[in-house]
Amino acid sequence: MGLFSGTKTPKDDWSAIATVIKAEAKLQALGEITPSRRAGVIYRNDENNSFQGDIKNELDVVLYVGKGATKTAFEIQDDDRGMRWIVLEDGNFGDLASSVYTVGNAIGMNDGVDNLLAAVFELYFTGTVEDNTYRSGLRTYWIYRYDRKAFYPFVPTGDSEGERDRQTEARLGQDLRKHGLVVEKSLTEWMGLWGIPF
Amino acid sequence: MYFTMFMLGFLYAIFALFLMSTGMELIFIGGIVGVMVVVQYYMSDRLILMSTGAKVVTAEQQPALHRMVKLLADRYEMPMPKVAVIDTPIPNAFATGRNPKNALVAVTTGIQQRLNERELQAVIGHELAHVANRDMRVLAIANFLVTITSFLMTMLFWNMLFGGMGGRRNNSGGGMMVVYLVTIVVYFIGQLLVLALTRYREYGADHTGAEISGDPGALADALEKISGTVNNIPDKDLRKLQTANAFLIIPAALKGEGSMHLFSTHPPLEERVKRLRELEKRMRYGLR
Repeated sequence: MGLFSGTKTPKDDWSAIATVIKAEAKLQALGEITPSRRAGVIYRNDENNSFQGDIKNELDVVLYVGKGATKTAFEIQDDDRGMRWIVLEDGNFGDLASSVYTVGNAIGMNDGVDNLLAAVFELYFTGTVEDNTYRSGLRTYWIYRYDRKAFYPFVPTGDSEGERDRQTEARLGQDLRKHGLVVEKSLTEWMGLWGIPF
Repeated sequence: MYFTMFMLGFLYAIFALFLMSTGMELIFIGGIVGVMVVVQYYMSDRLILMSTGAKVVTAEQQPALHRMVKLLADRYEMPMPKVAVIDTPIPNAFATGRNPKNALVAVTTGIQQRLNERELQAVIGHELAHVANRDMRVLAIANFLVTITSFLMTMLFWNMLFGGMGGRRNNSGGGMMVVYLVTIVVYFIGQLLVLALTRYREYGADHTGAEISGDPGALADALEKISGTVNNIPDKDLRKLQTANAFLIIPAALKGEGSMHLFSTHPPLEERVKRLRELEKRMRYGLR
């Protein structure tokens, strides 16, 4: 991110999350991934926050009511590390990404900016083309950190902390940047999320 | 070693200038500088061995390393170069020699420990590619040209300022300062060009090495491993991150790589790895 590097860090979540739609479409066109339909938003739940305390009903409104509502299916899950996940599923990736943004934005707008941790997209590499760079069936997560406004790939190799395929992640990061995704420049910030509930 | 060459050349230019200011004949100055350049050119491998602490090893001392170098040298159809080892944990390797007959390839003990056989072979292949492409000679000539050019430019200015060469020298301190300054500027610009050339030759060696080994991915893996960047990816879980970013003294957006690319001899690692990966794809499945 030097003065002369030419790339700008997006100022808001939407301009960053929008790049995931572009990158996903490109990789699909190249035959490298299967259509992706699952994503999640993880945040530190605060029951005293009125919006978060009534999250189910609030999201029913945010995602289903009104013109242009994406009507993305969602599920609320608490993990064993004290975090809450909104797991989203939608056959239309553009809608899925929009819903991810909407959920994060709604939590943020209701005094929850500091509670937001990350948004996570799940993507499978297939190997339907002969020069596929990644092994077939490789499951990857693209993590978006709200505090950094950038993505990075996460390829866990197990459920315990530290178990990840760093070499593949580094490569994937470069490829995704090439495909337009806003990728976190500092590798030390690529923190994992072990035990993603989807 | 490029830095050493840079400084040596710089020294020549200043030294020649100093001789000029004493009123010595140009032809003598040219001769002295010429001898120095030639000595440097022919002594370079020994100078480098001395300055890096590299020790030439025999096939008995390092059989595996020797076998590997021999195998690669055969593929390049060059004579077996001297093999040297530098005892340091810092992972590095270099090749030197004005031509394949006088080549030497050196690796550090650190790189031997850190890389697997395939990766080490790719690194040595890259270094031998420098020898095969005669990069030392190209560089020496480029350096020589830069030195000569800055010397000639200096003479020109000398003439303009004092009128006539080695003639009446009513040299005021200010005039001399201007001449020194011009020398430095011209030499500096010349060196930037040499650095650009060096970076270009670096890509060339990556490419040649990959063609010889048929495995560009190996060098890409090695570069990533040596640079240690991959190991910067943390073990830590994001949920353990408690503090917000707002209190960092240096905001995330301001950190990161600077703009020193112009001055570095090696192209940015990421770019080299990227090119190697692309080459890997093309080699595996044919050009499309």
